[in-house]
Amino acid sequence: MPYHEFKCSECIPERKKHAVVKGEGEDLTSCLPLGYLNTIPGTISERGCAFCGAKHVIGTPMKDVIHLCHGPVGCTYDTWQTKRYISDNDNYQFKYTFATDMKEKDIVFGAEKLLKQNIIDAFKAFPEIKRMSVYQTCASALIGDDIDAIAKEVMGEMPDVDIFVCNSPGFAGPSQSGGHHLINIAWVNQKVGTFEPKITSDYVINYVGEYNIQGDQEVMVDYFRRMGIQVLSTFTGNGSYDDLRGMHRADLNVLECARSAEYICNELRVRYGTPRMDIDGFGFKPLSESLLKVGMFFGLEKEAQTIIDEEIARWKPEFDWYARRLKGVKVCLWPGGSKLWHWAHVIHDEMNVDVVSLYTKFGHQGDMEKGIARCAEGALAIDDPNELEGIEAMKELKPDIILTGVRPGEVAKKMRVQYLNAHAYHNGPYKGFEGWVRFARDIYNAVYSPIHQLSGLDISKDEIDTDNRFMTRQMISDVKIDTEAAEASDEREYTGDYDCVTKLRGKKYPKLEKEALSID
Amino acid sequence: MSCELNKKERAGVINPIFTCQPAGAQYASIGIEDCIGIVHGGQGCVMFVRLLFAQHFKDNFLLASSSLHEDAAVLGGVHRVEKAVDVLLMRYPEVKVVPIISTCSTEIIGDDIDGVVRKLNSGLLKEKYADREVHLIPIHTPSFKGSMIEGYDVAVKDFVKAFAKKEEPNGKINLITGWVNPGDVTALKHLLSEMDVDATVLFEIESFDSPLMPDGEAVSHGSTTIEDMKSTANAIGTIALNRYEGGQAANYLEKEFEIPAVIGPTPIGIRNTDAFLANIKIMTGKPIPKSLVRERGIAIDTMTDLIHMFFADKKVAIYGNPDLVIGLAEFCLDLEMKPVLLLLGDDNKKYSKDPRIIELQEKVEFEMEIVQNADLWELENRIKTKDLDLDLIIGHSKGRFTSIDNDIPMLRVGFPVYDRAGYYRHPIVGYAGAIWLVEEMANVLFTDMEYKKNKEWILNVW
Repeated sequence: MPYHEFKCSECIPERKKHAVVKGEGEDLTSCLPLGYLNTIPGTISERGCAFCGAKHVIGTPMKDVIHLCHGPVGCTYDTWQTKRYISDNDNYQFKYTFATDMKEKDIVFGAEKLLKQNIIDAFKAFPEIKRMSVYQTCASALIGDDIDAIAKEVMGEMPDVDIFVCNSPGFAGPSQSGGHHLINIAWVNQKVGTFEPKITSDYVINYVGEYNIQGDQEVMVDYFRRMGIQVLSTFTGNGSYDDLRGMHRADLNVLECARSAEYICNELRVRYGTPRMDIDGFGFKPLSESLLKVGMFFGLEKEAQTIIDEEIARWKPEFDWYARRLKGVKVCLWPGGSKLWHWAHVIHDEMNVDVVSLYTKFGHQGDMEKGIARCAEGALAIDDPNELEGIEAMKELKPDIILTGVRPGEVAKKMRVQYLNAHAYHNGPYKGFEGWVRFARDIYNAVYSPIHQLSGLDISKDEIDTDNRFMTRQMISDVKIDTEAAEASDEREYTGDYDCVTKLRGKKYPKLEKEALSID
Repeated sequence: MSCELNKKERAGVINPIFTCQPAGAQYASIGIEDCIGIVHGGQGCVMFVRLLFAQHFKDNFLLASSSLHEDAAVLGGVHRVEKAVDVLLMRYPEVKVVPIISTCSTEIIGDDIDGVVRKLNSGLLKEKYADREVHLIPIHTPSFKGSMIEGYDVAVKDFVKAFAKKEEPNGKINLITGWVNPGDVTALKHLLSEMDVDATVLFEIESFDSPLMPDGEAVSHGSTTIEDMKSTANAIGTIALNRYEGGQAANYLEKEFEIPAVIGPTPIGIRNTDAFLANIKIMTGKPIPKSLVRERGIAIDTMTDLIHMFFADKKVAIYGNPDLVIGLAEFCLDLEMKPVLLLLGDDNKKYSKDPRIIELQEKVEFEMEIVQNADLWELENRIKTKDLDLDLIIGHSKGRFTSIDNDIPMLRVGFPVYDRAGYYRHPIVGYAGAIWLVEEMANVLFTDMEYKKNKEWILNVW
């Protein structure tokens, strides 16, 4: 076993089996770290809690819903305005957040009455919203409030509203992943099958494990609709509550983030016989294959191929401009869970960057299996990394850029390592063909930043360059490329809009309309 | 026409103004050198607070978790604290101060953090870390009581209580700043230096605004030392700028060590800064120098250009930390503005007896409302139902959509501010803070006039 022992973690032997280096010729049989075990206290791990996994990651992207936390105010406040799951209804779900604001007397005497009053008052404040998710927290779980009973009581008294209850307190599992599981199962148990959706196509899918970060979902749904496919629901980004109650009517579950949402796909397969198809929305090749796969399921290969051809013709020359210049850039791929394997190979194969390390905050061993199987040899794989290990890895590996979250990104910044937001993106969306160009563009902009070059200069002792009055990104990046070949190619820099998502809203899809007519 | 003090009538909270107690204790703890707090609770209670600090300061701050999982939540989790302390001390050899910060979950299950500290002191620390100075400080911050404000207040008191030790008088004053930004500490230290007064600043957080250095070694962390906290018992006196954020510590020092305490006023605006200097003068016997007369003059000069033309009668809503809100409201009144709505984000019973609020109730001539236990829906709903006509909102970034969606200009002040660049660097206290506030208010109003084409031509000459 090629375990990698961090110097900073020698004193905690439990950590030893959580990091490996994928050596030459090694595969999963010889090279797999432990995963998804309880966190070692005091390590300064980057993990969150099961409440946030349920509410913040999966629950709140649902767009036409009052999201109410039953607990003290902090759980609500802390998970509010910290992500970029946009929606086409003016972002209602991240503008408004609700808490029962439990106080000491509620802890002592119970807070069920308080919860009921909260539900009623919240619906009163937003009379146009008729759907609600109530999230348990550590506090309400420990005092044993029966949230389900209160929700039923209110639904009995207010027949026009519907309430979903998610019992996933912060302590329910080693990380946020525990909450992903709990909310998946809660939704399928409570809500799927309680609403009959309108079927307007012979080709109907649920798009699952997709959270519409900076518009990812809208880009992908645009492809599906162009193929003539009805996207019945999205679990959960930009998703609508009632659409998700009708998930049982789809022909196929198209699964993107298997880490957070495979549970519901598996349940839907068992209960309704709906097949699960895993796809990758990132990267020209994986995305093309994914669209073809979905096309093949429905006999829509031609439709899929038309889109792929159109999109590649439009965006490949722009992507190639960046890929040529990203060759050999060293990347630490340090996301939360699924991007570990979504990106591990494709950023190497297509963008030409070298993945020197990958880690997962909340992924399971299965995620590491996929990631390690896909990444190149020599990569350092870390499960449940902590602050000191991240720093030690950066010092050792000297990456040009890390793909991670906002706060670890600040750690990297101080060490003169560029950072790109892997969770919420810098200037996304990153899914889709155009998105893939945007991703490459953002990496390029970070790595070849003239200011980044200046940051390493110690003016007290280094020689100061007094000849150059400025540098451009290209002056820095093009030193190492074959300029003649570059000029001879049809490659060009990104020409898309700053906002490439809003214009997709309200778009007409002739194939879908024809389908709808034939079904009526 | 009068000022009313009301309570939010609706149950629950829609868009909270504050987060909960442990966040306040965490904010206090990052102000101390060689200190890493351990939050005893679920991992989210730390992860999100660290994210919040990173959003506001665009930097990383160290805090640890006891990582309470299901078994510990059911069977008790003090052993997680023991392990966390050991792991932290082993891996961070410089750490000397470790507050153990409780949360709702661990308070409900009754984990005895005082007991575990006693156990660790007589066990682990003696056996394994005998050669090392380590202070474990239990801080009780049940999330269901008070808010982040109380958490901060409690933590400052607990730190002072843990360290303050009577020795020879040190000739300094204690300056307890409250929940401020690095820019504020710079401005306050500047005033003290002009007054030729030496102070122990709780907390020294100027270094939160830290550089990116060529060697890649810089980190953001506060620099108040154990010595600083020890010597608070030997000061000439304590000035706590904020009643609700550090007031308890000032009172403790007065009661326990007879260090005279002056609490407030929060030195926002000219008048409150004058009072702050007067308090220092009384406490230290040092005169207010001419240099500050000049600095004050520059601030007043700036204001005179703006106030009666652009600020007079402008209706303002203010939300955020209570001392901040009150200080800003008082300043707005001096600026001829009408702070018509003040929102205080928790249910602190002391608000109704706060002399500053009583003074507003007694003296304000126009219709003004102060809402306790408020949330941001109290603001937005009044705007939407046309009960409230506003020219300006002053508050932190969590209310940004109230401003954006209702086309009301907003000046970002307070914590957190993450949708404007570099605001933590600018002071709002002292004369420098007064200048910044007035100029930013003007620029926010000017931008809004241009955006809405509302007499934007007036700015051609003024």
